[in-house]
Amino acid sequence: MNRTRLGFVALIATMACGCASMGVEPWERDILAKDEMQLTTDPIEAGTDDHIYFSKEASSGGRGFGGGGCGCN
Amino acid sequence: MKHRKSGNHFPGLFPMLVAYLLVTTLANLPQSVFAADFDPDDLAGKVVVLDFWASWCVPCRRSFPWLNTMHDRYADDGLVIVGVNLDLDRAEAERFLSEFPASFRIEYDEPKALAKRFEVIAMPSSYLIGRDGKILEQHLGFKERKQAEYEAAIVSALGQTGSDDE
Amino acid sequence: MKKRNTQSVSTALAAATCTLLGSGAPVPVQAQEDPAWNFNTALLYYGEDNSRVNDYSFSILANRLFVDDRVLSMGLTLDTLTGATPNGAIRQDVPQTFTRPSGNAVYTVPAGELPLDDTFHDTRAALTVGWEQPLGRLWKGGVGFSGSKEFDYLHLGINGNIARDFNKRNTTLSAGVSLSRDTWDPVGGAPIPFAPMLDVGATGNKLGTENKDILDIVLGVTQVVSRRMIVQLNYSFSDNSGYLTDPYKFLSLVDGATGDTLTRTPAPGAAGPSHEFRFENRPQARTKHSLYGQTKYYMNGKVLDASYRYMTDDWEIDSHTVDVRLRWPLGESSYLEPHFRFYTQTAADFYRISLVDGVELPAYASSDYRLGEFDATTAGLKFGWKTGSGNEMSVRVETYQQNGTIPPQLLIGNQIGRETYPDLDALIVQFSYRFSR
Repeated sequence: MNRTRLGFVALIATMACGCASMGVEPWERDILAKDEMQLTTDPIEAGTDDHIYFSKEASSGGRGFGGGGCGCN
Repeated sequence: MKHRKSGNHFPGLFPMLVAYLLVTTLANLPQSVFAADFDPDDLAGKVVVLDFWASWCVPCRRSFPWLNTMHDRYADDGLVIVGVNLDLDRAEAERFLSEFPASFRIEYDEPKALAKRFEVIAMPSSYLIGRDGKILEQHLGFKERKQAEYEAAIVSALGQTGSDDE
Repeated sequence: MKKRNTQSVSTALAAATCTLLGSGAPVPVQAQEDPAWNFNTALLYYGEDNSRVNDYSFSILANRLFVDDRVLSMGLTLDTLTGATPNGAIRQDVPQTFTRPSGNAVYTVPAGELPLDDTFHDTRAALTVGWEQPLGRLWKGGVGFSGSKEFDYLHLGINGNIARDFNKRNTTLSAGVSLSRDTWDPVGGAPIPFAPMLDVGATGNKLGTENKDILDIVLGVTQVVSRRMIVQLNYSFSDNSGYLTDPYKFLSLVDGATGDTLTRTPAPGAAGPSHEFRFENRPQARTKHSLYGQTKYYMNGKVLDASYRYMTDDWEIDSHTVDVRLRWPLGESSYLEPHFRFYTQTAADFYRISLVDGVELPAYASSDYRLGEFDATTAGLKFGWKTGSGNEMSVRVETYQQNGTIPPQLLIGNQIGRETYPDLDALIVQFSYRFSR
């Protein structure tokens, strides 16, 4: 029982460390800094589409915000 | 020559610095960034601002006018600003510098050895190194509202005496 | 069809401000300073075939940048809607007459045609204001306000969001919340649920104004996967309560054997409906859950943007959305961007074609095609270019098609073969212009 719990914790820790090491160095954000690599490239188009589809369908939203980009400051 | 444009006028010096730092990483790290027996002509006894930047980094571009001002104001007092470029494509850095010229010294850290040695975790990052070679301050990012603070730290560092009196 | 402003615009705006904080925006060569203002403007045309809805809109999004990554964003959208929308009644082999929502006049639909109500010529104005700033080195937060007004609808909302970076800014956790209070002031008043449509001048079937409250929560994780790839995963929760019915839509009351709508005669000397219609009724609450995943992947100058969203709610509607875009650069200053979107949804559990006479009324019923079972496909192409002065323009043309199914068990008698889902075919054209000052 103790060993399974320990194994489980080790698994989570490994996954957490794995996630912690996924990514790039701060100086490797050149491509991610480009306008076309942002999650929402065109806010007006995203807003217009959301509005059209909200009016014509029964689902809406989902899109989020934050993250990506040059990671500066 | 007071105003140094971009470009490496002492090609051998910078790689020497990098190599030195790599070696000292393996040894027991001395407190001083520049050991007493390593004597680059223009860095000993100077206050150094080591600024890591890249052409695609917007706050880096904002910091250039301020760095130029600091250079113009304090180079005679012993301030050396070294802008360490971390672009993966050197041509981008050169294009940036032709639009936003730097009056301070620019170096290219292509192997990223210096960035790793200083454990750069943010862009831009700048390190204020005193006359005795110790790292006095580390700034992550560039905040225009903190310019006065940064400048005060430089002035205070310039006031110190190092192993070489000027 | 009425268009509703929702917090999704503010969310898009919040996304906009975060986008600007992270992007290396192009700057005119001569300026040593960053531009203080970024403007994004667009003109949109949306038009459905068969004399259905036409919409023209103008939008402007202005971002005022302040020192150290603080942004004030303001958005304004004006649009004007004309055209007709299905009123919820089924087709008949004879002409049908309906009382207009105002209760002051009638309109007639020819035999065999899908009944459309063209009463709506409406103008809408929507405003959003938001403030975003760093909170310390690794935190970022924002607040916003949104409002919109149409002739018969008012929306007011506030929103807030916060985000924190981890792992040298490779991972970002974000949370957002928005609250809205919307008010319906329908032309002629909100009808009593399942009330019959009455003759011109009769008002016994109407209530006054109605309110709707919406709470939205979004939780997200953004992860930099590699130098070329970034991934985002969001969970959204939405709680809607209050008046969720469409006050202008109704169902036909039909004979249980033939499936034909019962006829009626208006009072002597009055104009009124030729058949029996009952106003629809939807539940007073709706809870939605969504899971959304998006990736952007850079391939040698081309950028792939792919996303998937799954939505489920307590009205038994499930939907899947797949959206794919590929930005294809043409030389240094222009690009082509094909776009494809596929959407599918299941019907609400109270969705039906008609109400059957003599049978106990269900708790809720609506024949609004937007609650039915359908697939929708969008296919489009966008062309963008940088002007001589470094500003950006783009044009996009898209087609949007809905194809639906009416489950056979919902059709009775003569409805079989005559009633089909009101498929939709629309054209979207948008021109946009971005510039900085």
